Amino acid sequence: MKNWNSSTIGDERRMLPIPVVITVIVSSFLLSILAMGFTLQYITLSVPNLAYATIAFASTYISLTVALMGLSPYISAPFAFILGGLISLLLYRFMAYLRDRGATVVGLMISTLVFDLTIYGATNIYAGYIAYFFKTYTYSFSLSQFDFNFGVVPGILIVSTLASVTLVLIFHALLVKTKFGIAMRAVMENYSLASTQGIDTERVLSVAWFFVGGVAGISGSLYPLWFYMDPWVGTRTFISIFAGCVVGGLRSIYGSLLGGFVIGTSEILITYAFANVFGGWVWAYRAVTPMIIAVLALIMMPDGIAGYLSRARPR
Amino acid sequence: MMASQTQSNGPLDQMSNDETLLHVEHVSKRFGGFYAVQDVTLGVPPNCLVLLMGPNGSGKTTLINCISGVYQPDQGRVVFSSNDITGRLPHEIVRLGLGRSFQIPGPFKMLTVAENLLVCGKGHPGETFSGSVLKRRWLEYEDSLIDKALRVLQVIGLEERRDTLATELSGGQLKLLELGRLLMLDVKMMLLDEPIGGVNPVLAHSILSHIRKIREEFRTSFLMVEHRLDIIMQYVDFVYVLAKGSLMCSGSADDVMKNKELYDIYLA
Amino acid sequence: MKHVVEITLFLDIVVFFCVYAIVTLSLNFEQGYAGLFNLGLYFPVLAGALIVAYLPGRLAMMIFSIDSKLDFVADNAVVLNLLKARLASDPLTSIFLLIVTLVAVVGICSLLGYISAHPALKLSEDYLALFMLSLAESLRVIGMQTDWLAGGVMGITIVNPFWWLGSYAYYGSALLVVGSTVFVWFIYHRLCTSPLGRALKSVRENKLTAECVGKDVSALKKKVLAFSFALLGLGGALHALNTGAVVAEGYSRVDFSFWPWLMMIVGGTGNNLGVLVGTFSLVMMRRVMIYSKHYFTFLPFDVVWLEPILLAVMLGLTLVFKPSGILPEKPPKLDQYMQKVLRKRLYPKEQPSELLAS
Repeated sequence: MKNWNSSTIGDERRMLPIPVVITVIVSSFLLSILAMGFTLQYITLSVPNLAYATIAFASTYISLTVALMGLSPYISAPFAFILGGLISLLLYRFMAYLRDRGATVVGLMISTLVFDLTIYGATNIYAGYIAYFFKTYTYSFSLSQFDFNFGVVPGILIVSTLASVTLVLIFHALLVKTKFGIAMRAVMENYSLASTQGIDTERVLSVAWFFVGGVAGISGSLYPLWFYMDPWVGTRTFISIFAGCVVGGLRSIYGSLLGGFVIGTSEILITYAFANVFGGWVWAYRAVTPMIIAVLALIMMPDGIAGYLSRARPR
Repeated sequence: MMASQTQSNGPLDQMSNDETLLHVEHVSKRFGGFYAVQDVTLGVPPNCLVLLMGPNGSGKTTLINCISGVYQPDQGRVVFSSNDITGRLPHEIVRLGLGRSFQIPGPFKMLTVAENLLVCGKGHPGETFSGSVLKRRWLEYEDSLIDKALRVLQVIGLEERRDTLATELSGGQLKLLELGRLLMLDVKMMLLDEPIGGVNPVLAHSILSHIRKIREEFRTSFLMVEHRLDIIMQYVDFVYVLAKGSLMCSGSADDVMKNKELYDIYLA
Repeated sequence: MKHVVEITLFLDIVVFFCVYAIVTLSLNFEQGYAGLFNLGLYFPVLAGALIVAYLPGRLAMMIFSIDSKLDFVADNAVVLNLLKARLASDPLTSIFLLIVTLVAVVGICSLLGYISAHPALKLSEDYLALFMLSLAESLRVIGMQTDWLAGGVMGITIVNPFWWLGSYAYYGSALLVVGSTVFVWFIYHRLCTSPLGRALKSVRENKLTAECVGKDVSALKKKVLAFSFALLGLGGALHALNTGAVVAEGYSRVDFSFWPWLMMIVGGTGNNLGVLVGTFSLVMMRRVMIYSKHYFTFLPFDVVWLEPILLAVMLGLTLVFKPSGILPEKPPKLDQYMQKVLRKRLYPKEQPSELLAS
């Protein structure tokens, strides 16, 4: 199986679009899950988590370590879940502590920045360490050669789609059917009211953040199975996540799910279309596409898809 | 609800439309499918204390928001001092002489009481980018502004607290500060949303007699939203009653209080 | 010779401090005064640097009719040699280039600020911060990928408007930076201690109330962003001129957004003097760090990754222990306002009012 990855796509202009299709699918599903989780965290504290993407992509190095030890990178999933979950939980507790001491929105966002920068530095230090230990280049890597294949279909395609769909279904069921899910909806809707109703709001939010972080970690651990990972993937993906949330509707969880999917698809397809017309150099600007879409969305559809749909609903 | 047949227009009876300071014509405001305010018409002449009352949720604050520019009315017109102010921005409306206070006071928390007042200088040359760099341009205005602020501090009784941060004031003091800001703005009319809400009766009467004196001295008009009818009725010249977004009846304080339907809407 | 090295080292620190002072004072103007949460501070800074990379070179080539087959970026070294030969004996053209470039920087960046204000009005504070950050990162990507702007990933060396000073060229550009910083400080000081500063703080505290006491909040925000972007661009331009080269990658979020944020928070948000103190302390700290880097070569990883961690730790500690900073914001007493209009100090009662308090 040829080692396709996103950065080589632009070099071949007359190639079959199958790798592009796979890239679109994997990217869209991962991004939609990430955007959904991001919005969930945003709603709970009314503060966007700047460390979100960095936490997610810290787990890529777990996959790398596992692969270098000779095992399948998919095994890293539970560890990625725990790592992502624990860091997110810690971040939530830090933010709750500051919030209770009267921190402003600015202060809380800076606190997420604290985690973002720490993890950013720590993961790259770790990358340096395993480069030293395993005597290999870890600055930019891809694990697609460690993937299994289902016939001609790369495993990551199956895993990312199945995992995403399962996750959304589980999440929806959780939210609607379980006591915990209902408690979480109550807390997100009205924190103070929920606490007076006897819900342990702090525990509910802590668990929610743990799960969201864990899922983000798993998403991150799957990323290098198709794409190339380097220290700046986190920042670039954060922009895409942000754009996905803007397109989907800033406070809507399912809107962000849709928005993330839209961005994941259009980012690749639009860049691909432009590259075919203007030349392969367009691929270098791929990271700017989500930003352009976000700006357009802000101008034309400031409430996002979710806002648009809720207004179109008949009374 | 149809307006009661026994309504009188009070001071408006004697006046032609040109003399009305504030004229609200058929204003409606919708949120989704729900009409918070529906087809409300009322008027306030100069030099008049008018009460806007009604049960909770009757649309009083929404109406104030529509008049002051915080909301854009979906239908209708608002005319102030012969200017059509429908849907204009709040800062434009204030500059025309119509000011408002808030039900929950919104002071500038990290500014002192004095600064809260000083910031209300209309058309301060020092508040433009070009004007602020050259001190000479705004010194004179600032001088008279400080004078005014000192007087207002005395009127509202907060001179001792002039250097206190607004965030340290009590609820009653914040209400006084709301009033003080409007005094600084030299407005011809004030829209007051619960000026004595949550304030002890002694202070409430004090605030209301200040309001009366302001009206006497400056011929300022007031449209006040209030729930505490026991305290405020004696101060007002005219009353409008709002119920479920529509004008139910109006008249002098005595006339309105005699209206039997009034008790129905409060108990409903 | 040793003296020259010492002076250059000293000037290096001074220039570094000055550039960051311009950046942090602008940040304080946006956040500490107007309450505009901007995490993408490096957007105009990078824009300023890119303009300095692009404009003087092309202009000089046109003025001196340099062979148009040569490309400023692709043939960077050749073109610069040709230009240096001309400009070293032409102070007038050099200064002309400098002035035109700085005017362009200020003009373009203030336009960028004005345009950026429109989403600023639509978005809530938190998403505004994200938006600005994403915008800035997008420009950085563009800067790194576009060769003809500033050499793309490799960067380019730029025209030095002080070649005519010969061996004193560095002093010339250092003087320009210091002079500009004094000017910027003066402007911000005047703006912030005037009624405008007070009005901006009222907007920061409560936008709705500010609007209802007659402040045109939208117009003010647009003007604040236009103004501060112009000066941020100036900071970037001066940084580029002093470095002698522009590498777009170097204008990163850590270097030109997050470090300035720390400097402002540590020094005291809302207090210009505090911000200077914070900037000075952290600039000194960073210089010390850079010079002592070689002590850490025994580590198996690149020491550069310790920097974000250090920044994060300092931010975290400041947030927990001293969020208002070394010199917290101090609202002036009424007496101070009166002194400003040259009135005597206020004693308990000044003059009786017509409306006696009951």
